[in-house]
Amino acid sequence: MVKHIIPNNLQEALNTLNAGPCHIMAGGTDLMIQKRNTAGTPPKFMKDVLYIANLEELNYVKKDGKRNCVLIGASSKLEDISHHPDVPNLLKDIIREIGSPGIRHSATLAGNIANASPAGDSLVALYLYDAEVVLSSVNGERVLPISKFITGVRRIDLRTNELIKEIIIPLLPVTKYKWVKVGGRRADSISKVSFAGLYLVNFGLVSDIRFAFGSVSAMVARSVELENSLKNRPIEQIIADLPRILDESNKLIAPIDDQRSNKVYRRKVATNIIESFINGIQ
Amino acid sequence: MNKIKFNLNGQDVSVELDPSLRLLDVLRDHFQLTGTKEGCGEGECGACSVLINGRVVNSCCFPLANANGKKILTIEGLAKTKRYQILKDAFHIEGGSQCGICTPGMIMAAESLLSMNPHPSDEEIRIGLSGNLCRCTGYNMIIKAVQKAAELGAGLW
Amino acid sequence: MFDPNKSTPKVDHEEKCSGEAKYVADIILNNTLFAKTVRSSIAKGKIVSFSIPELPNGYYVVDHRDVVKENYVKMVFTDWPVFTSERVNYIGEPIMLIVGPDKLVIDEIISQIKITYEEEEGVFDLVNSVAHKSFKKGDFEEASKRAVRTIKETFETGYQEQAYIEPQGMLAYLEEGGKVTLIGSMQCPYYIKNAVINTLGYPEDKVRVIQPAVGGAFGGKEEFPSTTACQLATAVVKIKQPIKMIFEREEDMLVTTKRHPSSITLEAKIDENNKVLGIKAEVGLDAGAYIGLSAVVLSRAMLAVTDAYTIDNLDVSGNVYVTNTVPTGAFRGFGSPQMIFAIEMFMTHLAKDLGVDPFAFRLNHLVKQGDLTSTSGFFRDPIIMKDMIKKAVAMSDYHKKIKEYSKPGVYKGIGMSWFLHGCGFTGDGESTHIKSRVRLVKDEQDIVYLYIAAVDMGQGAKTSLKRVVAMVLDVPNEQVVFDYPDTDFAPDSGPTVASRTMMIVGGLLARAAQKLKDSWQKGQYQEIIEQYKQPDYIEWDESKLQGDAYPSYSWGVNVVEVEVSPITYEVQLKGIWSVYDIGKAIDERMVIGQADGGITQGVAYGYLENMRHEKGKLRQKNLTDYIIPTSMDMPPMETVIMDNPFLYGPYGAKGVGELTFVGGAPAVALAIEDAIKRKVNRIPATPEYIMELINNE
Repeated sequence: MVKHIIPNNLQEALNTLNAGPCHIMAGGTDLMIQKRNTAGTPPKFMKDVLYIANLEELNYVKKDGKRNCVLIGASSKLEDISHHPDVPNLLKDIIREIGSPGIRHSATLAGNIANASPAGDSLVALYLYDAEVVLSSVNGERVLPISKFITGVRRIDLRTNELIKEIIIPLLPVTKYKWVKVGGRRADSISKVSFAGLYLVNFGLVSDIRFAFGSVSAMVARSVELENSLKNRPIEQIIADLPRILDESNKLIAPIDDQRSNKVYRRKVATNIIESFINGIQ
Repeated sequence: MNKIKFNLNGQDVSVELDPSLRLLDVLRDHFQLTGTKEGCGEGECGACSVLINGRVVNSCCFPLANANGKKILTIEGLAKTKRYQILKDAFHIEGGSQCGICTPGMIMAAESLLSMNPHPSDEEIRIGLSGNLCRCTGYNMIIKAVQKAAELGAGLW
Repeated sequence: MFDPNKSTPKVDHEEKCSGEAKYVADIILNNTLFAKTVRSSIAKGKIVSFSIPELPNGYYVVDHRDVVKENYVKMVFTDWPVFTSERVNYIGEPIMLIVGPDKLVIDEIISQIKITYEEEEGVFDLVNSVAHKSFKKGDFEEASKRAVRTIKETFETGYQEQAYIEPQGMLAYLEEGGKVTLIGSMQCPYYIKNAVINTLGYPEDKVRVIQPAVGGAFGGKEEFPSTTACQLATAVVKIKQPIKMIFEREEDMLVTTKRHPSSITLEAKIDENNKVLGIKAEVGLDAGAYIGLSAVVLSRAMLAVTDAYTIDNLDVSGNVYVTNTVPTGAFRGFGSPQMIFAIEMFMTHLAKDLGVDPFAFRLNHLVKQGDLTSTSGFFRDPIIMKDMIKKAVAMSDYHKKIKEYSKPGVYKGIGMSWFLHGCGFTGDGESTHIKSRVRLVKDEQDIVYLYIAAVDMGQGAKTSLKRVVAMVLDVPNEQVVFDYPDTDFAPDSGPTVASRTMMIVGGLLARAAQKLKDSWQKGQYQEIIEQYKQPDYIEWDESKLQGDAYPSYSWGVNVVEVEVSPITYEVQLKGIWSVYDIGKAIDERMVIGQADGGITQGVAYGYLENMRHEKGKLRQKNLTDYIIPTSMDMPPMETVIMDNPFLYGPYGAKGVGELTFVGGAPAVALAIEDAIKRKVNRIPATPEYIMELINNE
């Protein structure tokens, strides 16, 4: 018989996790569907279930002025995050295209991260911003960059007695950003291809440029090496370098055929988007 | 056995059921409130929409455990309010309901939207109802119904 | 858009808003057992052996061995087994039911059932024809000799899933004396009753079918529920306790009927004046594993070959093919959407190949009153298409946009479809198959009750049919009552299909009401029964498919404007304009509702809804992967209804339910074609297909 634990505070949650492996349930919008059983019967859980959605301690979005970043607690709902003034606009735009209002009132960013879906839209922004996750246990805290935390398709570096406590998003100066979600329809859709890009221009030089693709590989596809090769160069040079950028981008992604789309389409669209992004830098 | 306590349609209740049960099943099977419907079971169609602390949520992917300490309103509860009367009349005038299976969900989503944004634009209504699928109406008459409700019920939201 | 003064208060509005309306899943009876179907996991083969674990007390298996009389579901063509006994022909074919009080125990039992198959190679191409039809008009061979140009193209359409928001379900129980009663999500109470009578071998008065609130159907609940009903009826006779089987979305999507995928080849013979002298058409429909009503779908598809055009010489043939996939069936339009997509695209393509303006080219072939139909019947009634086209052009600014969007580098497009829909059953179906009957009863309080089998599945029949009777009797709406159909009280007024409900059933009700009015006796119980009589002018030869296929036609014009992204190839709908001739709108609000809903579904068939199978396994099986429009996908829509009363319809009304679906796909496909400047030959015209067209010159 699986046990269900509704902790009163974070410490209780951590103690529970320390006692044995648990499913950690936040909003439930992914987990309840992944594990669902016949209508009218409880989901098929093989481990105990720890419910953290209502932990008020973890329900916050706040700016940390000293470190110049925004901190998002694990039980903050997507809808609240999308209204907060300090959250980067790129992430807000992405969240507004996730699911539907009903989903956004329940789902959490921490949950999105823990789900580690190749089609997770919010992950693209988090990778771009070099976001970090704070993992909490009775033994203390670990901080990992998101690119190290997510290790594969639905695989994360989370120890059995840990939970995601907080997400740290460094704030970046940005001249312009772009988010493109290619889904099946204009709401409530899983991305076939997604793209996030941003750049900072100072006196005609692009001092920062970042871009990443979602839904076209096991994890968010981003090449810091490629970005670094473009940094601090004049706009015209970067645009002239488009063939190499396209070539490198193509090597970065590994789209697949599935029930939503096919690899030829995904690759072509990803290529079109990065081309449009680079050509649009001003 | 966990005791999950919440306020359901204005009444405090306490249930001793598996906390991982879908709220949808608890409402329909335990409380016999069949106004909330199952259309897809995967958070896509919104026929299972209820309000949790005033905000629309898909009850088919909401575990009972998360209801602890919350105020839950189903269509049966909303139907006792003045705002519901306005919504119902507006839906009637504009033809916003045909087969009716999506209607309770649409009305819950509309209530959630109007309580946060009493004078929404066409676009904002479409976003507010984007999680509620309808196969009969093509949505236009539903959007007009919500606009009409905002007009008729000015001041209520 | 609609005149509220020409609209009736919707009788079921209150209960649908408040959640009080009872759909089958909401109906709770004591001691109800649950049932779950065990299905074939292979597309083709034989069941060699199977083993079922020992069943706990109160749990049952129900299979072909329990079928009392006939193990086939009575339909237009009776080839669907109730439970297969040995051969399986598609993934998902029902083998047995497990019935019992606890769903988890049922699941556990099913997980322990072992079935051994002898698998065979499935057939998935259109090669096994099981029904062939053909007809001719004029002399195509002779016309070919006069032609200076021949153009041939093939068009393909995919599956479409009805995706009613209420999944299918049924509840069966025994009444006193062993009467089998069924309540379920359905369109045709008598189809179900007759199928159950046939399978059980019971007399008429031992089977009862009651319709609850139905959450959308679109044809998907026309014949399929008969299979569920026969299974549950067999089970309830064996077990003698109420049994409820509600499909969840995935099961519903995988095993219930869908629109027939099609392949249509059209060949035009054109003279030196750019006049189409003749068309040769070959129609192929994928029926899936069983024929069911596919031959009738084929008929309707073939008969729609010339759509709203008059072509003097035709050579039309068609085949129904069986494949080892889920059986396909009725869906709004019933064969004509496939054909009208093909012919509308073809006519525009012909014009482009000839280097002439498509609008003028099509106008030059537009049908006129008095013309011969495709089957050499007559378009007897006035046709106002020219006015409708003019109106649609003005509403949408069509000509200006066509010009503007033709510029290179502009990815906006506009498309217009012209179409018709034959109202009612094809040919003599009404008089030979259905023989519709309605019953009016007036009680001593002078309340008038309608007893008919017409199902309100959202189209408003409950309200509008009542209105017809109230109007004829000249009494307030409240004095007329139309409860949910119950076969114990309502005679067989026919199935709720084929856009016949207002025209035929409403027409019968109007005649019955007139008789009641003429013989009205205040304070006395009265009963009027009215039987359908085929109008004399309808002459139809079913074997040759010649004559008047339909008693009347409704007409439509749809204009769709799109913008296609050259980066992602996604289609954004920018505007939709429609003009319809449905004779006369009994209730304008309901007609506009049908118009909005129909075109949304029709347009989505053209560009959004995608369902494919791989060796008989459907790849899209839930509402996440099978994409239907959300509120954010639909643009502003404008609809105008034009009056053109039909003599034999109540107050001039003709059919509306399917007409409003039929034009959406060609309109959006033509718009996409216009935007990308490439020919579209296939729907759904998904972004993946658009990319192929743009990149593969």
